[in-house]
Amino acid sequence: MPVRVVETSSPSQVSGTTPGNNTPPPCTLLSVGQGFSGTQNVSSLQKDEAWRVNVQIQGIDHDHGYLCGTMEALNVPMADTPVVTFWEGEIVDTKNYTFFTGKWGATTEDDIKHWTKFQSFSPLLSKVEVDGGKTLDLSNYPFIFMRWKEQYFVNVGTDCGLTIAGFYYVCFSCSDGSINGFYYDPNSSPFQKLELKSTNDGRSGFSFSTYELQ
Amino acid sequence: MPTSAPPPSNYPTRSEDLIGRLNSVHIPCEAKLKALRELKNQIIGNRTKKIAFLKLGAVPSLVSILSSAVAENGGNLEFNEPVIIQSAAAIGSFACGLDAGVNAVLDAGAFPLLFGLVSHPNEKIVDACARSLKLIYQSKLAPKYNFLLEKNMDFLLSLLNSKNENVTGLGASIITHSCHTSLEQETLSEAGVIKKLISLLGGSLIQRDASLESLGAIIKENPVVVSKFMGPVNGRALNVVTELTKDRYPQTRLLACMCLILIRNASTCYLQDAGIKTKLILILLELIDDPGQVGDEAPFALSSLIAEKEDLQKIAFDSNIVDKLCNHLEKGSLQAKSLQGIFLALADLCSKLECCRDRFLSLKAFNFLTDVLTHDSPEVRTAACICLKNISRSVKNLSAGHFMNEVVIVPLVQLLHDTCTSVQIAALGAISNIVVDFTEHKSTFIHCGGVKQLVQLLKSMDPTIRFNAMWALKNLIFLVNSMCKEEILLELSPSILISLICDPETSVQEQALALVRNLVDGAIDSVEYVFSEEGLLLNAIGRQLQSASKVEVLIQGMYVLNNVASGNEFHKEAVMNLLFPHAGSDTQTILIKFMQSTDSRLRTASVWALVNLTLTSSPGANSRVMKLQRAGIVSQLKNMANDPCLDVKLRAKTALGQSMMFVDPSMGKFVFTC
Repeated sequence: MPVRVVETSSPSQVSGTTPGNNTPPPCTLLSVGQGFSGTQNVSSLQKDEAWRVNVQIQGIDHDHGYLCGTMEALNVPMADTPVVTFWEGEIVDTKNYTFFTGKWGATTEDDIKHWTKFQSFSPLLSKVEVDGGKTLDLSNYPFIFMRWKEQYFVNVGTDCGLTIAGFYYVCFSCSDGSINGFYYDPNSSPFQKLELKSTNDGRSGFSFSTYELQ
Repeated sequence: MPTSAPPPSNYPTRSEDLIGRLNSVHIPCEAKLKALRELKNQIIGNRTKKIAFLKLGAVPSLVSILSSAVAENGGNLEFNEPVIIQSAAAIGSFACGLDAGVNAVLDAGAFPLLFGLVSHPNEKIVDACARSLKLIYQSKLAPKYNFLLEKNMDFLLSLLNSKNENVTGLGASIITHSCHTSLEQETLSEAGVIKKLISLLGGSLIQRDASLESLGAIIKENPVVVSKFMGPVNGRALNVVTELTKDRYPQTRLLACMCLILIRNASTCYLQDAGIKTKLILILLELIDDPGQVGDEAPFALSSLIAEKEDLQKIAFDSNIVDKLCNHLEKGSLQAKSLQGIFLALADLCSKLECCRDRFLSLKAFNFLTDVLTHDSPEVRTAACICLKNISRSVKNLSAGHFMNEVVIVPLVQLLHDTCTSVQIAALGAISNIVVDFTEHKSTFIHCGGVKQLVQLLKSMDPTIRFNAMWALKNLIFLVNSMCKEEILLELSPSILISLICDPETSVQEQALALVRNLVDGAIDSVEYVFSEEGLLLNAIGRQLQSASKVEVLIQGMYVLNNVASGNEFHKEAVMNLLFPHAGSDTQTILIKFMQSTDSRLRTASVWALVNLTLTSSPGANSRVMKLQRAGIVSQLKNMANDPCLDVKLRAKTALGQSMMFVDPSMGKFVFTC
């Protein structure tokens, strides 16, 4: 989700590790077509404010630790319409990506500071502090950690007065499909919290759609 | 001004006169020889003349002359030998690059005659016949040589051991033409042919090129033969071939590259060094600049080098290959073969790497791509569709709606009518990806007549067409709004869907069920679609779940039921009735079978349906839980609470937790029937 402009990288991709089956398992609640809604707290010293947010998962590639989708911010004060952005995500799978971001202006200290805000992260902390968590076995862990980076505005121009310079630290719960996140941008309010829940289009249960690329 | 009158129609043309002289038994030997030379000179490199003389029956005449001269065996040597040489050369020329000519030569019985003359004492005759046979073997229509016969292998070895470069070249051509099976490859390898061919790599240009090509045929996709090629018996064979990639002749460089590519593709043990990979890419890039046949074929070699290999695609990308291939396209006026090769190479480059797709799209080469969708050549149209399919694997660009516009969609939909099946299938592949489009523009495809044509193709006799058309429709219906669903269903009737759910091909069944899964997703009203036609569609799905054995079909079927079970009470009850049609009977329900499947995807889909059926907020959940309990489902859920698949485990726990909220009135308390 874009934030107000108040006003950059080396890859965090893992090298030199042997690919194993320690990666987070696929989760149906985090599959293509799934929707989430909730809020992002954009409060500043001046005032409390939260924007309603909808997220949709559009692509996922477990082999490459990649996922992507759109994020729609609904009640953005300075925008006439909801603002939609396209984001790409890195799944912390210890194979393609570790807990260390290594880019987008985030230091390992920033990483630890943000990851530790998720309660589900605490059992992993000691190993992450060593090497970003390269040796962790996440194959049976009921939370999936990710970084989401918005790439472009879908329905507004770059001159809309909003910025997508930062990125999100994200924790997804495989149990109930809830998503918690923290927006990180050195030039924006710190620890803007993103809270999302799996949506069901007014249904009495969960529905799953599918597409496959050829 | 007066002009000369045209000749009367019964007056023989010069061509007819020439054939007349060839067939005449009354003209002197010298005149016949002269006529032979004249014919040969006229047809060499002239396709039109070849066709004209073919129609006049020139080939049977030539073969008759050759046969007579051979039969005279030692008669008038001064006349016979030049006649044999000239007629053999003319026969070869007819067979060069013209299928009709090859057919005529084979029909006239020239093949055994020419083979017999390869061992003639006169070196010029041997030369001419070997050249002609080589030309015949360049055609796919030439008879397959049986290497498995001992005498044939002996003869082949004698050809390869000849001192005449055209004869060794013939031996190599026979291998290139006829070696296809792994048994043939291994038989040739065992007979020492590889060693012989490697020795010929040090010979003349003709020998080098012919040997490289036939070595390729022997090692292609055969790791056993490749290991022998690389083994100590063959010395430094790899080094010799690698050296030839730097040869001064482009054709030799290309053939050497292709040989190395075949080695690498057959066995992952060899040529893994990044240096050689980069070198191969750079050499092939340079060869694409060649104005002749080498330039046309180099992109195909590049394509086989990088296909399915992400590491090589990355190296190629880093070598700026996307720009270079696109620059070739910008030069314009490329031959069909060249266009086909370049688009196939670009397709492979864009098959996996987003950076290649981004680069391609940023270079505006996309305009060339959409232009050639209407190219005269079906091979070019196919290659363009494959390229478009791979570029549109980019979710980032699909999400931006970059492909869903009339410039792309209109020609693609046109290609669904193509007379060539491979074009139709390639177009369906591209459409399948493009219609995923996450924007609100899916209606563009519908309004361009795309759905109508896809539904037509669902009725095709060709299962591949039905499969791909169904795949495209499934992707189109993914996350589509209700209005578009209605428009699609105007063309796609329930009866068509039912027939495809029951298609003889399981792959079509799977796609059809996945389509229904998407159809009933989204707004809750969508669930009603499966109840149309008095529930015939839902019943067809139920029958498939009872009878299908392919797990992918069952998975999609269960997701349909899951999505229906996420609806209202009526929907949930309909799913219960489908899953438990014979309430009270002892027969094991299909659901238990699916929950015990070794495939975690099927277990997941099944348990999700149970989560939806047991939602505690649903008024009818209580009675459903009782029914599930009596059917042994709850007990099975308990077993799954420790499923090795986390997704299954979590859903099983949810379904179990929900079920435990209810009490069995007959027992007073919830009881597990473990």
